[in-house]
Amino acid sequence: MTLKDTYDAIIIGAGHNGLTLGAYLARSGLDVIVLERRHEEGGGLCSEEVTRAGFVHNMHANYHTFVDMAPPVADLDVRGHGIEYVRPEVQMASIFDDGSALTIHTDMEKTLASMSRFNEEDAATFERLYGEAHGFVDLLLGTLMYQPPLNVKELTKALATFGVEDRSEFLSVKLRRETINQFLDRHFKDDRIKAHLAFHGAVCAYTNDVPGLAIGYPLLVGKIDNWHICLGGSHRLAHALWRDLAQHGGVMWSDAEVTNIVVDGNRAVGVRLADGIELHARKLVASTVSVEQTFLEFVDPGDIPEEFAHDVKTKVVHKDWSLFSVHLAMSAFPEYVAAEFDPDVNRAWVVNLGIDSPAKLNRDWAEIRAGRLVDPQPNAAVNSLYDPTDAPPGFATGLLRQFAPFALADGGEGAWDDMGRWYGQKCIDTWRRYAPNLTDDAIVEWSVFTPHDIARKLPNMVRGDWMMGEISLANMLDTRPLPELGQYRTPVEGLYMAGSTQHPHGFITFGPGYNALQVIAEDLDIEKWWQQI
Amino acid sequence: MQTTYDAIIIGAGHNGLCLAAYLARAGLKTAIVERRHEEGGGANTEDPVVPGFRFNLHANYMEFFDIMPMIKDFDLENCGLRSITPENQAGIAFSDGRPPIVLHRKDLLDKTHASISRYSKADADTYVEIQKRTKDFGPLLAFGMYSLPFDGMAEGQAMLLEQMYGDWGITAKDAIKTPKVMIDELYESPEMRTLMYRVSVEFGVGVDTAGFASMILLAVPWMVGCWRLAKGGTHTLAKAMSQACYAHGVDLIENTEVDRIIVEDGRAVGVVARGTEFRATKCVATNADPKQTLIEQVGEEHLPANWVRRAKNFRFGPSHVLATPMFCLYDAPDYKSARWDPDINKTHYTVVGYDGPEDCIRYIRDAYSGIVPQPAAGTWVNSLWDPSQAPPGRHAATGWYFFPSASELSTEEWEEVRETYNDRFLDRWAQFAPNMTRDNVIADELYTPDQMERKNYMWEGDFSNGEMALDQMFANRPWPEAATYRLGVDGLYLCGPSAYPGGGMHAAPGYNAYKAIAEDLDLPSPVVTERGY
Repeated sequence: MTLKDTYDAIIIGAGHNGLTLGAYLARSGLDVIVLERRHEEGGGLCSEEVTRAGFVHNMHANYHTFVDMAPPVADLDVRGHGIEYVRPEVQMASIFDDGSALTIHTDMEKTLASMSRFNEEDAATFERLYGEAHGFVDLLLGTLMYQPPLNVKELTKALATFGVEDRSEFLSVKLRRETINQFLDRHFKDDRIKAHLAFHGAVCAYTNDVPGLAIGYPLLVGKIDNWHICLGGSHRLAHALWRDLAQHGGVMWSDAEVTNIVVDGNRAVGVRLADGIELHARKLVASTVSVEQTFLEFVDPGDIPEEFAHDVKTKVVHKDWSLFSVHLAMSAFPEYVAAEFDPDVNRAWVVNLGIDSPAKLNRDWAEIRAGRLVDPQPNAAVNSLYDPTDAPPGFATGLLRQFAPFALADGGEGAWDDMGRWYGQKCIDTWRRYAPNLTDDAIVEWSVFTPHDIARKLPNMVRGDWMMGEISLANMLDTRPLPELGQYRTPVEGLYMAGSTQHPHGFITFGPGYNALQVIAEDLDIEKWWQQI
Repeated sequence: MQTTYDAIIIGAGHNGLCLAAYLARAGLKTAIVERRHEEGGGANTEDPVVPGFRFNLHANYMEFFDIMPMIKDFDLENCGLRSITPENQAGIAFSDGRPPIVLHRKDLLDKTHASISRYSKADADTYVEIQKRTKDFGPLLAFGMYSLPFDGMAEGQAMLLEQMYGDWGITAKDAIKTPKVMIDELYESPEMRTLMYRVSVEFGVGVDTAGFASMILLAVPWMVGCWRLAKGGTHTLAKAMSQACYAHGVDLIENTEVDRIIVEDGRAVGVVARGTEFRATKCVATNADPKQTLIEQVGEEHLPANWVRRAKNFRFGPSHVLATPMFCLYDAPDYKSARWDPDINKTHYTVVGYDGPEDCIRYIRDAYSGIVPQPAAGTWVNSLWDPSQAPPGRHAATGWYFFPSASELSTEEWEEVRETYNDRFLDRWAQFAPNMTRDNVIADELYTPDQMERKNYMWEGDFSNGEMALDQMFANRPWPEAATYRLGVDGLYLCGPSAYPGGGMHAAPGYNAYKAIAEDLDLPSPVVTERGY
């Protein structure tokens, strides 16, 4: 048997973007191989039984927000591959220390009713904001996310041409001078409502105190009730995408660690693996891993311009906070004290615990950016409320997520190994304050997944950066991750960037892979059998 | 989602994947329905302790890659399967720093001879001679394994014993002996006896089980010498097999537990899984054990009385009941015995914890009779051979503890075993390799038989899902009437390890089930003339 060593397309990384790009190319008739460093495909689509057999925990991606608008879901027949999504009725909640609770429902009437109990004027404002954004959101996001990025100036011009500002004050381009906090202060009165909305931004990686991010906030509001669970664990989606790739003639290798991208005369012609195997690419190499790995580790320094290498070293910006997670196997569902105020909190998929004001969140950011652990106020997701298959009957999985520094001021990221269990217990203690039934008896087993673990498991998430690049105005659209790379092409011919370092960003959007496909199709003259938005 | 197929297979363990690939290649539209979120069953690799340290929670060594038909028939190398055959295959170290014994690869018999000779030239001569005589045993073994079992197999094996070792005075009648008796007759040195006892139980050959003596002279010596590791972890075998399945159009429906097998007019026509009815127009095959299949999923009303009795009497454990420790290490173990022979520090499978035959015998007898034995193990440090299984410069060590069947201990007792046994083993390990102190361990966990039961429905933690005893082996497996993979209901087949020849990474039950189905449905035979099976 001889090893086949030449493919049309070599894709580095079998995360959802790599598999998406691979499946489209395979369906287009190209001979495709996707190479995955880990023993398991999926990247952030990673579900494991880390607590106990039968309890499936999503280690990274838990919320799927774009499944109803991402073109690959239909093009690659994701549902035909058995993937089922559930959109929980009670999407989210915030529980406040005064015993009250705010709930976000898929039924907007219920959301507004909940908000009205805090402030009727705010509820009306929210209704207007949601309505305005919602009218545009799919069109705007679709146009914005599922094509190669526009330039900010062009975008501004386009919005003006459409007259968007006349139709919606919330879609004003002037928002690019504001933080989400400022936006919320201008429009809302109740601190708790503001806290929930600020938290919502942060959970989406739109940190509420970062200047300029107000511009994206209305779009986040438009999707506030659109969070989906991938039944059976997020990893199933990875299986489905791989299956689509393979059923159309593509191949995915696990445990295939790329160490070099081979460049010949400024053209990427193949890759070398850690075990010495060399694979040749007739048409293209696409990288879905980090910019740093791609250009500082894989490509020989002599193969790229010096200034470009310098930019990669100095100008790629990562998130300045990461996530600390506690995964729990439980024999009970949380029963919140706040259910006395609003019984729906017990059915809320994700519950924010005790963040009463944006000011509290702002103080936390300052601490976290300084490398210090804050008194945890995690958010708690119980997928089993809506997914009967992720735990044995009568049991539940739990996920606590807390904003946290990657490197601790005292001891760096390595210190997490000693702190993890202790901090995890503190997170559980917090949860227990709000849901006293979660006693030790109700918690069968738990394990922690620290920011250090994120980077160790998926080194493309540099410094635990699960968005694979900061979300900020300067790092958006065609300047993400660097102006030279903004259109998925790179200084090396035939080498493309197709992962979450690219527009639109991380999360399960399918956007980077799908958009890189458009550029590749153009360059290689591939007939587009898919309908572009 | 498609719900009607030609063939439905329950369970995506490696046997199910094997059967699916052959059925799909024969033109049947095939689906595998898998209870877990992940394919592979016992072909399982995870990094649950510290990300980047990979552990094979079940199968660790691969001895059948040269003879496994699917590897060649489906070109699994080009699906990403790669393997490593360590030079130093199996060894034993001692706490007093006596010389180790290291058994090498088949091409390095001189080294093996020298190693055993430190204790006994006679033992070295015997072992090397057995190695020479079994050198070409592979094709013969393969012919036996990859065929439907027939009456007289055990007798045939006894005759082969006489044929191959008649000049030593060994006759067919010796086959009825226990492995311990045969090992004691063959080897004089306590050290060699200890190693051979342990190596034998690895394969489920209980040292005191009458009728297993021929294994010591036939299969066991052949297997020790061609042990391999699947690069990246055992799970990459499942990945490559899945890849082959998908390329032939197989669907995998994960996270879907089968509740019932639909029987109409005495024929299996589908399954009900998670509330959905999946119809199979040609056949249903299952990797689950026949007891669960017939009693719970088919129903006694569809079975002859004798089959109900047989199914209820099918036994699990104790011969293949294991626990798997996972140690994330700074440094690989450095044995006292290495001063005589440094190879023991880089041996694939190293026996630790026995200073003489009586230690090993007591250990095995304890485990088989429901007592947690004094700490000892067969250990692997896969990262010595495959650096991708641990972070750079670090090591992932695992092993097998033979343990009592899952039901022998209570939940609380297993809990306690998980909390304490690794520590006890580590104390013992440090007597053999002084650097194996707590300080060398970054983190560790223990995976016990009760967890195996929960994760993979390997009842009692028995990886063969059915005791390996003469009355449940060969043409008696799982019981005489069911030995041809046909399960008493038309169109229903057994394709997992409860069928002949049992557990292990050889995919023989899956391959043979295909043969049976092919006969019944008039599909192409998978037999390749030149290999003869």
